[in-house]
Amino acid sequence: MTETEFIDRLRNNPRPMVVDVWAAWCLPCRAIEPSLQQLAREFDGRVELLKVNADEQPDLVRAFGVRGIPTLIGFNNGTEVSRQTGARPLSELRALFETALTGRPPAPRRGLLPMERTMRSLAGLALLLAGWLAGPSIPLLGLGGIVLFSAIYDRCPVWQALAPRLSAAFRREGTR
Amino acid sequence: MKVNEATWDRIARIALGVFVLYLGWANVVTGGWGLALKIVGFLPLLTGLVGWCPTYALLKVSTKK
Repeated sequence: MTETEFIDRLRNNPRPMVVDVWAAWCLPCRAIEPSLQQLAREFDGRVELLKVNADEQPDLVRAFGVRGIPTLIGFNNGTEVSRQTGARPLSELRALFETALTGRPPAPRRGLLPMERTMRSLAGLALLLAGWLAGPSIPLLGLGGIVLFSAIYDRCPVWQALAPRLSAAFRREGTR
Repeated sequence: MKVNEATWDRIARIALGVFVLYLGWANVVTGGWGLALKIVGFLPLLTGLVGWCPTYALLKVSTKK
């Protein structure tokens, strides 16, 4: 495919695309290849993955302004929306595919990490158990309840409804 | 507040905190020591839950790689 054909295909393709600029001798390119194949399957029919061999198509490399390989460029409606250079973990590569698909960078991750959630849940349950065995002890049971709630607060609909009002009330109080 | 405790460190602190609080609040240990355990147990529990140890921060050490 010539440079013009490729650019035409890119610009006139309404489907989101990810262009992978790679080379056979490039070790990081080989390192991310399994992840790219996995994402190509995951986004099959939604995001098209196009490979550009940097050695065989230097004009395209120049046209894309690529300064290092591997470079991945996400296109949405023919417009570049995201770019990554170098070997990246699967999560970052997936974010690039998602950006190409939606045209917007993915929303920043909110809420607790799974490890943090597990740790707080187990600590809360351990405190509840200790509180129950200790009599029961109201302070330990209360503390266990608070710790357990801290493990799930970001998924609690009541908290989600109350939190913005509470923070707004505190802000108003602070500005008085 | 940057986390300066490794996961194993946090788990050990939480387990220690729960155990010490149990000893205090279940009256396994009574008297002055019991009262001390009721209070002191909160320290490892809280530092384990938060993942940040002020002593580590003062000494500029960290168990987290």
